[in-house]
Amino acid sequence: MTRPHPVDRRFERRLGRLLIGVTYSAVVLLLVGVVLLLAAGISPLAGGPSFEPADLAADLLALEPAAFLWLGLLAVIATPVSRVLGAAAGFVRGGEPLMAAIAVAILGVIAVGVLAALLGG
Amino acid sequence: MIEALWLLAGGAAAGVFGSLLGLGGGVLIVPLLTLGFGLDLRAAVGVSLVSVIVTSSAAAGVYLERNIANLRLGMTLELFTAGGALVGGLIAFLIDERLLAVLFAILLGYVSLTMLRQKTPSPDEGPTPTEPFSAPDDEPTGDFEALRLAALDRLAGDDYPIRNLGRGIGGSAGAGVVSALLGIGGGIIKVPLMHVGMGVPLRVATATSNLMIGVTAAASAVIYLLRGEIDPYVAGPVAIGVFLGASVGSRVAHRVDLRILRWLFVAVLTYTAVLMLLRALG
Repeated sequence: MTRPHPVDRRFERRLGRLLIGVTYSAVVLLLVGVVLLLAAGISPLAGGPSFEPADLAADLLALEPAAFLWLGLLAVIATPVSRVLGAAAGFVRGGEPLMAAIAVAILGVIAVGVLAALLGG
Repeated sequence: MIEALWLLAGGAAAGVFGSLLGLGGGVLIVPLLTLGFGLDLRAAVGVSLVSVIVTSSAAAGVYLERNIANLRLGMTLELFTAGGALVGGLIAFLIDERLLAVLFAILLGYVSLTMLRQKTPSPDEGPTPTEPFSAPDDEPTGDFEALRLAALDRLAGDDYPIRNLGRGIGGSAGAGVVSALLGIGGGIIKVPLMHVGMGVPLRVATATSNLMIGVTAAASAVIYLLRGEIDPYVAGPVAIGVFLGASVGSRVAHRVDLRILRWLFVAVLTYTAVLMLLRALG
């Protein structure tokens, strides 16, 4: 069962650390949002504001709970995507075109989902 | 404010129980939010998908760091599970919520039965392969066969072969559809698929499933988010609760008598399945 391993174990460890780092960053953003939500005394069941990317930066500066929650949610969804991106780069560097193509195809599937959701309203 | 704390506590309970019983929180979060907090089923599925990504990503990171997950196999299968999730995420908006509730009740019944039949296997236990995958003396019978054997060889672990890749691909696509429709990670399908169906050792199958769950859930969560089905005020407390609960659950798992917990859990799931059916019937 000998097989080439151009992408070494160190690469997988790095990917693991990337995944953990992005996950914890997302959790911290969500936590800040939840603390601000509690501090503002807002009922979560009243319905949160819709996602407005254009207002995100200003709302973050204004310490709006929804802004941190939206940023956290985006970071959550970006977490596995960042791992696939990292893996694609590693496979390209390691000379594994098939695995790199699979990684790019996964990103393509997610991109199709984004497009379909945007076009479908 | 008290509602946010209830959501946090509910998420934490789902995280603890899910972690103790080897399930993601999704199978508990959706009934909790629909039956306990009155959310629409689709909104609950969106929140559940986000929570599933948080817990599975944290676990997958640790598994990757420790070189337990099979990255190549996971990425190959997650191409198909993400495709299934894309399809599931799109058709979820075309299906009547009552049908989704019936599907969820069936899922709960399936999980209950699986838990009743569950034994406690050794973490390193792997099934005996029933067909060779690429012994060194194999004589490829053609270009396609040679390619197939080469692909299986690339996906194999250091000390175990891979078999039935086609079955793994088909099962992964199905798991993706179910995940997107019902807001679960799909580990309950992927782990047996890899372990029993493809000959992957249980520990590796669990680790690789965690790796795949993130991408599966992300592929459909992005659709729910862009269609306005994820409420940040609900998703934030629940995701934090599930994350904390799963962390606690994984630390205390060895001190808990899982037999009693499993029976209790089966009873809760069965009761929840009945409630979901009643909800479907209006």
